[in-house]
Amino acid sequence: MVLLAIAALPASLLGQQRWEQQVQDRLARTVDALPATPTLPVVKRSGMLNIDEGASFQALLTVHVSYAIIAVCDDDCSRLQLTLLSPSGSEVAKERNSESLPTLHFTPETTARYVIRVVMEGCRWNPCWYAIAVVPLRKPPL
Amino acid sequence: MAPVKRWVVVGLAGCAALALAYLPPRGATARDGSFFRTQAPWGTPARHRAQALADEWRGVDASLRLLRARRELQGLLRESNAGTSLVVVSESADVATVTSPIVDSAIHIAWRQLGLVETKVRVAVIIQLAVTSPVHDRPTIEEGVAAYLAPDSTDRTTCIAVLPAGTYWTRVFRGARANGQLPFDALVQTLKTGLGPCAFYATYGAPGRLVRGWLVARGWDLAMTLDVGARRAYRNSLIEMAEPRYPWYWEAIYSLPPTAVACLASRPDGCRAAVLAGAIDDPAIPFPDIVRIDRRWGRVPRLVEGQRFLGDVARAVGRDRFLSFWTTALSVDSALAATLKRPVGEWTAEWQSDFVRPIRLGPTPPLGGVAIALAIAALALALVAVSATRRQVR
Repeated sequence: MVLLAIAALPASLLGQQRWEQQVQDRLARTVDALPATPTLPVVKRSGMLNIDEGASFQALLTVHVSYAIIAVCDDDCSRLQLTLLSPSGSEVAKERNSESLPTLHFTPETTARYVIRVVMEGCRWNPCWYAIAVVPLRKPPL
Repeated sequence: MAPVKRWVVVGLAGCAALALAYLPPRGATARDGSFFRTQAPWGTPARHRAQALADEWRGVDASLRLLRARRELQGLLRESNAGTSLVVVSESADVATVTSPIVDSAIHIAWRQLGLVETKVRVAVIIQLAVTSPVHDRPTIEEGVAAYLAPDSTDRTTCIAVLPAGTYWTRVFRGARANGQLPFDALVQTLKTGLGPCAFYATYGAPGRLVRGWLVARGWDLAMTLDVGARRAYRNSLIEMAEPRYPWYWEAIYSLPPTAVACLASRPDGCRAAVLAGAIDDPAIPFPDIVRIDRRWGRVPRLVEGQRFLGDVARAVGRDRFLSFWTTALSVDSALAATLKRPVGEWTAEWQSDFVRPIRLGPTPPLGGVAIALAIAALALALVAVSATRRQVR
């Protein structure tokens, strides 16, 4: 499996607008459906990967805040794997069963920079576009 | 008579073994010199060295041109409209020139004829016009040798093709007309073929690692053109024009690699070996991934009409099945067989016979030699039989 650590390039440089737009719209709809807290920002990343390639990026997660980490991909993608790694590199959570919409829920015990890794496990027509959002959730009312 | 019969059988078997071992293969003739020469007879070592250096220079120059284009085209691609997946520019002697409307129109028609509209991998084509005045400080650009830069070596979504236009097409682009007619269809066909691996990238996206490694190892010789067109519409090699009555027929056949010759004889093992050469489990992909494709007439292919092999496979199996093969995680052999739903060798042997009538291989004694040998054998057997009969005790 090839793992690529890609830099966050501007969207305009990253490729064709149609597929880019498709995943951005999909991500926006999914984020809208979540009860996000207005006090913390939603972190988003997007890019493209060929089959069996992976990409990683870091996100600062705040202690005791519940996060939903969601990934979406374009119509040609059939399976996306999403993994959350601790700052030391050990796996905290992994989602590979939701095919093209993997979601992780996590509440960190300490504030730290966690690594989010996405692997394109199924892509019918390479490359497949993907987008990830790290959404801080509102605390449920007591 | 039993011992005599046994000796006859042993003798005949010995003759057959000797014939297999020593008779020349079909078509082999004693000749002073080869009909086809790979080198000019007047070539000197110094000349050969100069030509090798020139070839090396051309390779490096083409690579540099592609890498320069990667930077130069980025702005152009950014500015291109949404929905446009093809960009065409022209240059002459490394200086950008205005792209002829004929070229622009022809390549967009070629694009549509390939069934391409908006694609995940864009294609940027650089038409290299021939220089009108001779250049003495560097080797001339070879017509028919195009260079390609794979998307993974650009921004991952752009394949770059550098196509030398050659003297003829450069004159046409600049307004010259052959017999007053613009050979527009021929230009469309030339540009369509010229898209080469970039057409595959645009149509099917980036291949999986194993398929890509296989194609890279072979110089993309099985995927040189996506537009397969009608079979036998164009004859791309001498073999397809050769007939057994021509004195150079067998020499042309034996100029091919042994696996290609075996495939011409409809031997599935040979076809399989010819197709799967270069397929390994852990291929190395170069970076930058630059492919140079020689389309000049007369080159020796690894498989007759091999340049259209994957195009024909794609057409035979349909887009969905071909995409499964293209992005497979299986070995190339298994994936191709699964896609074709037949063993690769069998399918290829049948495909090959569409272009060239299957040849017969094996040792062939000359007719006179056979007659004399049979006469001697018959005489020897008769003598042995007579002698054995006389020695019998009645």
